[in-house]
This record gives sequence, structure tokens and C-alpha cells, in this order.
Amino acid sequence: MLIIIAFRSSVEGVLLACLAFREDPGSELIFASDVGELKGKLDLSGIEGEINMVGFDPSYRSESLSKEIFGKSKPRMARFDPDPLRYVDLLLRHKGCDPAGLVRLLVSCNGDTDGLYSGKSKIAKRYYNYMREVGKAYERLCMFARPELKGGILSVVIDTPHDIADMFCRWLVRKNPDVPVAVIKNGSAWVGNGDLIGLDRFAKITSSFVESLRSTSKSDDVDELWDLYYNSQMIDSRRNHGLAKKMQPKSSASMSKMSKRDRYKVERGIAGCTLDSFA
Amino acid sequence: MQILSAGTKYDSCNQSAVCHAFGPDGRCIQLYKTLLSNSCAGECAYCPNRCERETKRASLEPAEIAKITWSFYRRNAIEGLFLSSGIMGDAEYTSQKQLEVVELLRGQGFKGYINIRVMPGTPKYLLEQIADHADKFGVNAETTNSINYSEICPNFDYKNDVLQRLKWTRDLIEKKRSEYCGMGKMVGANDTQFVVGAVPESDKEVVKTVHKFMDKYALRRPYFMSFDPVPDTPLENGSPSPKWREQRLYQMSFLLKDYGLRSSDLDEIYDEYGYLSNADPKEVLARSQPDRFPVDINSAEISDLLLVPGIGPISANRIVRGRPIVSEQELSRVGVVVSRARPYISINGSRQTNLSSFMGACS
Repeated sequence: MLIIIAFRSSVEGVLLACLAFREDPGSELIFASDVGELKGKLDLSGIEGEINMVGFDPSYRSESLSKEIFGKSKPRMARFDPDPLRYVDLLLRHKGCDPAGLVRLLVSCNGDTDGLYSGKSKIAKRYYNYMREVGKAYERLCMFARPELKGGILSVVIDTPHDIADMFCRWLVRKNPDVPVAVIKNGSAWVGNGDLIGLDRFAKITSSFVESLRSTSKSDDVDELWDLYYNSQMIDSRRNHGLAKKMQPKSSASMSKMSKRDRYKVERGIAGCTLDSFA
Repeated sequence: MQILSAGTKYDSCNQSAVCHAFGPDGRCIQLYKTLLSNSCAGECAYCPNRCERETKRASLEPAEIAKITWSFYRRNAIEGLFLSSGIMGDAEYTSQKQLEVVELLRGQGFKGYINIRVMPGTPKYLLEQIADHADKFGVNAETTNSINYSEICPNFDYKNDVLQRLKWTRDLIEKKRSEYCGMGKMVGANDTQFVVGAVPESDKEVVKTVHKFMDKYALRRPYFMSFDPVPDTPLENGSPSPKWREQRLYQMSFLLKDYGLRSSDLDEIYDEYGYLSNADPKEVLARSQPDRFPVDINSAEISDLLLVPGIGPISANRIVRGRPIVSEQELSRVGVVVSRARPYISINGSRQTNLSSFMGACS
């Protein structure tokens, strides 16, 4: 009889699916974010078989599962790369990631994690690049996104194809443990320090609900001050067009108005005189 | 605000954290850097804020600095504050005002990074209080010896006002580290700044001093500021120090800090006057010692691998962990810059090129 491994598309779900797939390599893999979605997929697929559901009841055993699948030794080729657990976490956040394909890749490594980082096979290389793309997208958010403190809530709208809003929210919470934080993407808002405004500490709500939680709609007024400061740091004799463009890439301009202005100055330099000089 | 921030633009203070913006010169802007005041009682010969010089003077109150810091920090534009100052009356008063800023920020719950440049002559009790709140603090040495220091900073004594503070900073850092051991809190290491080119001191003297400070004061890394003559200062007719000199001195300091070399190991790099050339010091060192090469990737000690251009501490460790290495492609994957390393290495006895033909091609 066909065995269907139905797993949750989370880190723990993927690892449990790896263990199950190792036992039954001929099984069919189906993933879903929750039981409801899984039911829909199973009904739609029409596949019949013995269903082995894994990962839908979190048991928080990712560390021990990781040791069981990847072994204890550190991978030798990990150049500035995350450990396998984090690797899987980042990969799952990529818009193009196929969790079933990931399970097959992890099982094919047979405990030798070199395959995840060395990119020897085509699929391994693709997933490695996916993992790096997510990492870089997250780094860019941390560098160039500019939240605004409006009505007592520090909020930012992000536009990224990958599922990293919650990661960025947690990062902002670590930096700002004393204010509610909201990261808004596509009408949803990931809220951190929500206990300060009567929610759970971390919660996912609608962006319109965030607006209703604000005490006022007045924003902080920091942009002009930042421009003054940014301009003051320029050393004319050290202008380095090439390096500056590389370090503050074009993509940073789309992340916030502040970064857009910084990028403009990187491209065009900082004007020595302004209209105020003629006043 | 603009005047006071511009007063710190030559100060380097990068910590290994997120960079939020880059200037048109490519430098990372990750802290709000400002002077508390550019009014200064000092007469440092190279400084635009020296007391005898006509310039626009400005000050910010501690509350104002705290407010600006918070505004930028909330905006995710900075990771913290770098605070220096002109000497407002005397070192004690100035440091008290700096401490006020730090205490205000921490009292308001500020979790960001704070780096305080203390004044030469700051009393020990104030250093101790600053150490309680700042992530990093230290005094700038500016030069390598008391004679040079008295020429450019006539108001202070090198031994008592600078070296003694470096020693206290070292002791305070050690004490903090033992207090915070296992608590996950980082304590910044001792650092200092040298002005390069204001006085005729050779690169060899600078590097030797850096090494001495590393041994004696647990200096982690030096910063270098290239001298640029400022109008209406005693050194206005001096020649500006070439920027590459600063870069090469940084490379030398990394050889001491990260590669485990001693200043005496680097003697062959300098010219007859003790100056560096505008070339990668590690490359120059390797070419001056051809008998050491080639180094076999699969059998050499880490200390020998580190002498190969293109191999740094991280890639050297990876080579040892990853042995046997069978190809240049594997070397590249562990982070070796193979094009630079190639003339100096062999892989299981075979070489792609040899040092003499490489040197012949480059001469």
C-alpha cells in the first residue's frame, strides 16, 4: 500500500518527514502549513494510501532531530554559513522552496552535510542559493528598513518575496524591548512586544488592526535630522564612487525613503550649496 | 548638530554589527558620532577645534544628544552612539558631562551600543563610572612617544594622561569581563587612535608601538587617522598623509592581531627609513622570504599557512579541518584567494606556477 508522509512545512515537520522518508523511501510526500490545508490537498490530489502525519503537533525537538539526521560533527565546508537547522529554517522561507524536494535532498545527503554547502548537485546548489538569498534579504531588512514610531507603535512596511517578516519583527523587538513593534506585509502585521498593548507577546494580526491600536497618527520627524547627520559624515577627499555604490546598493533605495535619499547621495554626491545659500 | 557631528567624521569606530548606511566615500555609518562640544581648552597642533583657532563653536546638552540618539536608533538608522568632545574647561568636567549622557541613555532603557572617547587626564573614578554603562571607552594615544606627543598635544603628558589611562582602561575591562563572565554580555576591548603623518614618525615606530600596546595594555586594535593640514593651525603647512599609508598600517595591525606575528617579524617590509610602501605588506613579506615557499597545503602548520598571501586565519583553519585538500577549487571554496596564493603553495607536491616566474612576470 502507498505510504503518504504528510508533514507540516516547518523545520520540525521537515526533519520528522526526513526520518519517516528514510524508513520508507518510496513514499509520497505532501506538505501543508496546517491540518486544514493538508485535508484540502489530500482531497484534491485524490491519492489514496496510508497517511503518516508528522510535525502538526509541535514537540520542540528540532535540535535532537537535527543531530539524528545530520550527526553531531560540524560540516567542513560551511563558509560563513548557518548550521543545518538554521539552513533548513531559512530555506523554508524562500518563495521558491519545495519542502518535499528539501526532504529528498536532506535524506540523500545521508548524514554528510557537505552536500548542503558544497553545491555539488544541481538541486543542492539551487537550495544553497535559496538559503543565501533569504539570508541576504533578511540582512538587507536589518540594514535598510526604517521603522517609524507612530502613535506609540514602531512599525514598518516591508516588501520582500520571502517569508521573513516574523524574523525581522523579532530582530526589532530585541533592539526595542520597550515599545510595541509591527512589521507589515501584504495586509498582515507581525507584532512584537504585543503584551504592551494588550495582545500576546508575539502575534499576527491585520495591518488595519495595527492602525486602530495607535494612540495618534502623528509620526516622528527624523528624516531631515538624519540628512543633516549623513551629510556631516562626508569626507570630500575620500569620495569613492565605486565602493560606495557597492556598499549601498541600488536595492537599498526601495527599502525606505531614508535609504533612497542616502543612495541618491552615494550616486550624485552631496551638494556643496543649496537654495538656502541664496536666501 | 551638524558642526559637532562633522567634528567626529575622521574618527573610526566600527564595531562588528549591522551597518545601516554608507557614505559617498563607502564608509559605514553605523553609529551616531558626535562631539559634546567643539569648544576646547586644548592646543593640539593638528586640530580644527584648538582653542586659539577662529571657528564656529557649538555644544549640545546631554538631553539633546540622548534625544537624537533615540530618534536615530528607533529609526533603525544606527546601532548606537559614539561620543567624544573638546575639552570643556578640564578633562574631569568634560568626562562628567559625557557620563551624564551615558547615564541618561541607559536610565531611559537604551540597549544600543555606546562608545566613549575619554579625555587624556580623565580621573579614574569617572572612568570606572563610564565603564559601568558604556560598551566601549578609551583614550587616544595619537603618537608613539612623549616627545612627539608634547609637540602636537602640548597640554597633556603622554605618560600620565594617556598611558596611565590606557592601563586603567585595560584593568577595568578585565574586571568587567570577569564580572560578566557567562552572562552573555560583551565588553568592548581596549582600543586607541594614532594620527598618521602629523609628526615625522616612521611606520616601523608606529607598528612597534602598536605591538607594545597590545602586549602591555591588551590593545585589541588601533585606529589610524591620516593627517590633513588644517588652516590656521601650527601644522597648516604640513603635507597631508597619503590615504594608502593609513590602509597599509591597518593591514600591518591585522598581521599583529589576527596572524600572530610580532613587530620584529615584519622588519623586512620597511624601506631603509622605516616606511611602508604602497603594497600589501603580507605580499611584500612573502616575497622577501622566498626560501619559506612553497608551502604544502596538506602538511603545513597553520603558522606557515598564514604567511601565504590569500590565506587568512579563517581559511587556514578550514584548510586544516578539511584536509586532504585535492584541488584549487576546494581551496577556493574554503575562502582562499587562489590567484594570490598560487605562487606560494603546492598541493600534494604539485604547483601551478612557481614564485620566481611569478615575480618575473610582475617585475
